[in-house]
Amino acid sequence: MKESGVGLALIISILLASVLQLVPVSGYLIVLKPNFLLLVVIGWIIFRPSQWGIGFAAFTGLLADLIFRAPIGVHVLLFSTVGAIPLYLSGWLVYFSLIHRCLFVFILIIFAEFMRNMLLSMWEIPIDYSYIIVVALASAIVWPAIDQLLIKVNRKR
Amino acid sequence: MAAHSYTDWFDPIENFFDNALLPAHWLATVPARLSVWSELILSDRSDLEVENTRLKQESLIHRGQIQRMADLAAENLRLRLLLNATELLMDSVLVTEVIGVSPSRNSHTLFIDRGTEDNVYIGQPILDAEGLMGQVIEVFEDHSVALLITDSTHAIPVQTLRNGMRSIAEGTSDYDRLRLRFVSPTADIREGDQLVSSGLGGRFPVGYPVGSVINIEHKSGASFIEVEITPAAKIDRSKHLLLVFTSEDGGEVGPSQ
Repeated sequence: MKESGVGLALIISILLASVLQLVPVSGYLIVLKPNFLLLVVIGWIIFRPSQWGIGFAAFTGLLADLIFRAPIGVHVLLFSTVGAIPLYLSGWLVYFSLIHRCLFVFILIIFAEFMRNMLLSMWEIPIDYSYIIVVALASAIVWPAIDQLLIKVNRKR
Repeated sequence: MAAHSYTDWFDPIENFFDNALLPAHWLATVPARLSVWSELILSDRSDLEVENTRLKQESLIHRGQIQRMADLAAENLRLRLLLNATELLMDSVLVTEVIGVSPSRNSHTLFIDRGTEDNVYIGQPILDAEGLMGQVIEVFEDHSVALLITDSTHAIPVQTLRNGMRSIAEGTSDYDRLRLRFVSPTADIREGDQLVSSGLGGRFPVGYPVGSVINIEHKSGASFIEVEITPAAKIDRSKHLLLVFTSEDGGEVGPSQ
């Protein structure tokens, strides 16, 4: 796929993740909903680390702040910090098997949710840490779809 | 983050983005609307006739109840006048539809399809068929943002129906739970007590159902008891809501249409 095609794929993936993030769910499903934007950022950083790094993660974080109506900067900081980890490990991560990448995402989302909760607690928003494992598990379940899509996009280069 | 917390520099950006996000909200609710549409298309004519008959019967029952309510309201008005009560609230409502919800677990807000064009104002109470849902916090030309009573930053003055005990119900970031603040261990409150808005503070009208007490916990050594409430409104399920227009002079204030 040409570079312009990759750019288009990136924009579509971010838009799709934003729409998925906004899909209304009720009851306990709301705690099962993964952070699709963060997963897409992680995916692009793993498979295109030379092109999409911290700046891209910070910009998507800003988008997440506006979508989540969170204090501006919370998701910028969160996405940049979390994005730095796969960026640092991307040399290894691309050679991992899918199941190992799922495990990596599971651990990364636990870290991300802890950090997000700590940041939100600065605004005295009540935080429930019991959801963290559930969100991480849901993210790890969703991950193979994002992983395989991004692999296909990057193979077409 | 500090700039956002202590200044309003980012307000124009947020307002612009709220408007820009409307198509995304529309797209996000397509599956739900498709589900409703498919139910309608696939339902049998006889089922629709049965439902129509049931709705007509319900409408008749409700009309009867409203007549009784009107009589009670008139009696209440006379008694209030006798007591020289100054604040008489008459409400009119406008139906609105939910067009989006906040994707965050920690922020309980809704987007509704009415704005300044319909005379919606900040602080306006919102109801569903069962009880109070929240209040409008931002108004745009053709849509508004409402804060739900379950949001952790929201609090509403309430009173129990049984004995009129006043308290404040605050959100917990859980769609099924509110809690009462500063309730004395000796307060006369029981599980099952119904709570309605008390009208104190002047933001919410008096008498709309807020919820019912489901759990009371006495902690030894604590100055106050923990009282949990389940909201009367279907906070995370209701699609059609009512915007309440209130006036304090007893006259009816309605939307422009």
